[in-house]
Amino acid sequence: MSDNTRGVFSLIIINKAGGLIYQREFQAGLRKLSTNDYLVLAGTFHGVHAITRSITPKIPIAQPTPSPATGTTGPAAPGYSYPNPGVPVSGLDYLETDKFRLTCFQTLTGTKFLLFTDPLTGSVEGIIQKIYELYADYVMKNPFYQIEMPVRCEAFDRHLGAWLRGRT
Amino acid sequence: MAATSKATIPSSSTIHGSISTLNNPKLLEMSYYFTILSPTDTPLFNIAFGTSKGGGDGIARFRFPETAQYMNQFIIHSSLDILEEAQWTNGGMYLKHIDTYPPAAAYITAFLTPSGARFLLLHQPPNLPSSTSTTSGLGSSSLLGTAGSTTRASSSSIAANPTSPQTEEAVRQFMNEVYENYVKTAMNPFYKQGMEIKSPVFRARVNAAGKKWL
Amino acid sequence: MAVPPRHATMQSISNGNTAQGNDRPPTQQSQQQSQQSPGLRVPSNRKTIYDRHLNRTRNAELSRASFAFLFGEMVTYAQRRVTGIQDLEKRLNEQGYPLGLRLLDLLFYRSTSTSSSALSSSSTSSSPPNRPLRIITLLHLIHGPLWRLLFGRAADALEHSVSAETANEYMITDNDPMVNTYISAPRDMNMLNCAAYVAGIIEGVCDGCGFETKVSAHNQPTELWPSRTVFLVRFGDPVMEREKVLERAGIK
Repeated sequence: MSDNTRGVFSLIIINKAGGLIYQREFQAGLRKLSTNDYLVLAGTFHGVHAITRSITPKIPIAQPTPSPATGTTGPAAPGYSYPNPGVPVSGLDYLETDKFRLTCFQTLTGTKFLLFTDPLTGSVEGIIQKIYELYADYVMKNPFYQIEMPVRCEAFDRHLGAWLRGRT
Repeated sequence: MAATSKATIPSSSTIHGSISTLNNPKLLEMSYYFTILSPTDTPLFNIAFGTSKGGGDGIARFRFPETAQYMNQFIIHSSLDILEEAQWTNGGMYLKHIDTYPPAAAYITAFLTPSGARFLLLHQPPNLPSSTSTTSGLGSSSLLGTAGSTTRASSSSIAANPTSPQTEEAVRQFMNEVYENYVKTAMNPFYKQGMEIKSPVFRARVNAAGKKWL
Repeated sequence: MAVPPRHATMQSISNGNTAQGNDRPPTQQSQQQSQQSPGLRVPSNRKTIYDRHLNRTRNAELSRASFAFLFGEMVTYAQRRVTGIQDLEKRLNEQGYPLGLRLLDLLFYRSTSTSSSALSSSSTSSSPPNRPLRIITLLHLIHGPLWRLLFGRAADALEHSVSAETANEYMITDNDPMVNTYISAPRDMNMLNCAAYVAGIIEGVCDGCGFETKVSAHNQPTELWPSRTVFLVRFGDPVMEREKVLERAGIK
């Protein structure tokens, strides 16, 4: 767990159209970007993510054992699928430099959470899951939040900050 | 006497019914008029019924049948002043017997829900020629020696004295049961406070409560 | 002697098509229920609301998330064509008010049927709880049993205004109102408190008990409790006058 005390630098939330809807820095460690650059980063990442998703190869699924009754297995049956048919293809999952690591998590509705952490930070998955949970609670249940618009929810900021502080 | 009453009430074919026809039912059975008023005194529900206990046929026979229809409401509404006084001195929901209207021998019992709806029950004993005729009626029923005679005696004591503890307790049970059904009505999202209660199920439930306790 | 019963005409005042009901012997009662009401739609399992128990939900709990979403939609609905914060709070208040009236009856019903424990903590008898006649009894009812019925815990504080000029003002404090858990009002509406809905419930309860009241919800955040809310209960003058009379009469 000592790794967990290493920093979570900042969080970016990108809506499904590629717009930046939330940006917050938790801990110094990265050089600052201008607001405009954050917008560019969000848009660029969104595009790259879409491309990585579309070039993800389909792999052949295991051929179903031909049943003796029908005799032949029809070639019409889809022979290719993504690695796990139940999970949509994810595309770019993380980028890493020797100073930081960028982890991307995409929700079912296409919202992306980008978390900048120290490369040594462990269990980033868990952190992102918790952030997603806080987002679902304090953003999506807030009647004043308009979907796809910038997140300005005081309770979300408060709980996010408190939880991350509690971790360190 | 018995033959004539049998002829006029052909539907009462049960044993209790036949016993009640042996005695004059008018001697022993109360007539009830129950009404629910909103906190602002709008009538929400009303029903008339008679004694069902001890072989009563559950039919109201008011003393002045021609005028009962509006007189009962009039009598009940005239007790509202007393009710509103009692409302702020007695914190209970069941306020017991609160008013009497001697000309019609009508007794008013009240129950207040916390949200201010008033349940008012008017009971009117049958028109007795004198108190001795009650005892003679009792004597004749005990002479019969049937199983029904004991319950009959107790119900007749209710009839003879609307302010007795037994009556108060029976009315309390009745009121509590109506209250339960009233709460269920109020919980209906399509019901707003102050609306007339039209549900036939509610009416049947109140009727059943009357049969059960009174 | 047995004249045709008069009650048939009496019943017809309120409910014409059920008037013949009583002439039949009681054995036919159940069939007649289903016959007499062609307009009434009964659920397929034949269970109307009158066949359900009012105490059923004592252990059954509702999902907090579903409440949050429902309440969120209520706020969104109230926001339509609203003229300002006060108007929005008024609408939320009006949504809560009828609930208060209903809850009052339910609260007393539940505490009578489960005999004493919930409401009349002081009295050991199993007699039904009393209707509140005095302001303090009413406020204790709201602070304790009502809050427990709604939120599963008592409210956090109950205070009386210290100023003699505002002797009709009482304050009920909730450190973390459940309705506001997931709500953050936008900055330009920072005076808004959606617990105005709860204020409406309180108002309904007070009005139902015969205490004319105005209740409003106010933000009073502290370091520890950022969504701390104070419900300001202002009783009307007639209530205060009656209170004096009842006090002189020694009624508790």
